[in-house]
Amino acid sequence: MATLTLDALNKRYPNGNAALLGIDLSVEDGEMIVIVGPSGCGKSTLLRCLAGLETISEGELKIDGERVNEREPAERDIAMVFQNYALYPHMSVAENMAYALKNRGVPKPAREAKVRETARVLGLEALLDRRPRQLSGGQRQRVAMGRAIVREPKVFLFDEPLSNLDAALRVQMRLEIRRLQKRLGTTAIYVTHDQVEAMTLADRLVVMNAGRVEQIGTPMTLYQRPATRFVAGFIGSPAMNFLPLEQGAAGWRLPGGACLELEGFEGRPSSLGVRPEHLRESDAETALFDVRVELIEPLGADTLAYCRLDGTATPLVVRLDGARQLDEGERLRLDAGIDRLHLFDAEGRRLERRSLDHGRAPLLPLSASL
Amino acid sequence: MRYRRPGLDLLSHALLLLSIAMFLFPVWMALTAATHTRAELYTGIAPLWFGGEGIDNFIAVLRDPVGRLGVSVSQLLFNSLVMALGIAVGKIVIAILAAYAVVFFRFRGRMLCFWAIFVTLMLPVEVRIMPTYQVVSDLGLLNSYAGLILPLIASATATFLFRQFYLTVPPELLEAARVDGAGPWKFLCDILLPLSKTNVAALFVIMFLYGWNQYLWPLMITTDTAYTTAVVSLKQMATGGDNLVPWQTVMATALLALLPPVAVIVTMQRYFVKGLVDSEK
Ligand SMILES: Nc1ncnc2c1ncn2[C@@H]1O[C@H](COP(=O)(O)OP(=O)(O)OP(=O)(O)O)[C@@H](O)[C@H]1O
Ligand SMILES: [Mg+2]
Repeated sequence: MATLTLDALNKRYPNGNAALLGIDLSVEDGEMIVIVGPSGCGKSTLLRCLAGLETISEGELKIDGERVNEREPAERDIAMVFQNYALYPHMSVAENMAYALKNRGVPKPAREAKVRETARVLGLEALLDRRPRQLSGGQRQRVAMGRAIVREPKVFLFDEPLSNLDAALRVQMRLEIRRLQKRLGTTAIYVTHDQVEAMTLADRLVVMNAGRVEQIGTPMTLYQRPATRFVAGFIGSPAMNFLPLEQGAAGWRLPGGACLELEGFEGRPSSLGVRPEHLRESDAETALFDVRVELIEPLGADTLAYCRLDGTATPLVVRLDGARQLDEGERLRLDAGIDRLHLFDAEGRRLERRSLDHGRAPLLPLSASL
Repeated sequence: MRYRRPGLDLLSHALLLLSIAMFLFPVWMALTAATHTRAELYTGIAPLWFGGEGIDNFIAVLRDPVGRLGVSVSQLLFNSLVMALGIAVGKIVIAILAAYAVVFFRFRGRMLCFWAIFVTLMLPVEVRIMPTYQVVSDLGLLNSYAGLILPLIASATATFLFRQFYLTVPPELLEAARVDGAGPWKFLCDILLPLSKTNVAALFVIMFLYGWNQYLWPLMITTDTAYTTAVVSLKQMATGGDNLVPWQTVMATALLALLPPVAVIVTMQRYFVKGLVDSEK
């Protein structure tokens, strides 16, 4: 039960490496924040700064409105779940879970009652006397969760807790984590590499890039209206297609020759983004893209077609219905709904339409080919 | 994989028995000699079977002052035990703390400390015996247990071993402990020590034997026989001076002096074999 406020947080490692550059974030009570970003962008560093395992170089961290920069991890009343679980190998499951309580001076009967209660919630009762090495990966993961939950901390911190599990277990644990976090109402920060985990777990999603926050918002906001080209490319799988735009006589030219009339946009567009799942086949003369299929990946429900714009080397990925029979080398005409197109300027910022009152969009494909 | 051939089995058993016989023969000789009277031992032929004294010689050396020494073997064994335990426990405690500091704390001159410790590997007590004697004598520690133990109590080897072990402990374990509210002492006692009990047991055996077998140092600083150790006194008993050497006494003492190290090895071996078999990490 706590709010978390990060104010211009900076982290510089002793070797001079600046890993965090002015992170601002305010987390509501009971909220689940998921942090994603490419490897090395500072996700773990941020989490470790929150936990107190790394010192904060500049800026302020508040838990429940109280500055905690200088507090030891234990005094911050947070619990952390590590990627490799970090269970104490010489202690039984019960002892692992009780250790934090013991250090706080909780008397033995109360401690045992709490451990038993938590074990019941997590289905660990039968394992309480085992050592960590006598457990499977999934069970260890559960114990690590139990160790965090049993203390009833103000904040949970998860650093890629599921990345060592197999796919099926990952789905199961993902649901379980969500269920538990909702039920306990504990504020949580969750770092992951996994798109699905990020989308499904997050109340709000934070996309980080090179030590900065690129965008914060609900998963759907980030998916539908990515604020930068980076976020657009990072959220969604397969990634969004980006096509360069060139100003021509008749409007904005795409590679392959199609022209777009772009009006009512702030700024000067330099690239067009469209998600593979938003492209669909079209017979219209005005279809946006003429493509040649190069490679097909049937996924069952869907089929991914890796294409190139006709006559150019520009790649385009399309997600089509699984029932559609495709051949390599086949030509397709593709189109996308106008509101499915994203425009970015040269700096990668999203360009918004100036006003939406004009009814149908001022964005019109002029001609499919020259 | 193992070879299974009857002929080979026979050969290996024969070899094993032969080596056992070779190792046990001196012990057997000592045991039988200790059960004879001195007169019997000076007839010229080494007796390879028990004599008529039974355990009388053992009881005598444990109870009464032995020869010129003026102290009983019980006292000698006690001295040896204090010294060996002092050295073993001291070395282990100091090594654990030193390695803990070097591995888990960031302080100025950390690596300097480590290398300084490492360099002392090259300075065993035999090399620095004169200055060490001077220091111990200036401190008034001649003829005392402290004087026997202190100069031998720091061990670079043990420090190094513990350092190597600590370096293999995953850093997340420390972080998990910090989050769980364990301070430096708690982390050491609750996490590191239980994890390193195998190392502690192995080192204890080695260091106990090292302490028990010390000869030169105790010989130098104990002029009062009340502080002499068993190993040192054996040598003195065996060089008889004017009299005939009382071999039955020497042998009884030697066997008694053998017992504590054997006991330590047998007890500790269980721990570290267990530790090696089901490794905790
Ligand atoms: N102890 C350290 N000293 C110096 N630099 C470090 C240290 N730890 C991490 N870094 C650097 O800080 C940056 C951020 O690292 P961090 O571990 O936070 O990345 P991450 O986002 O968690 O990556 P991943 O997704 O691969 O886990 C990286 O460039 C990394 O090299
Ligand atoms: Mg990381």
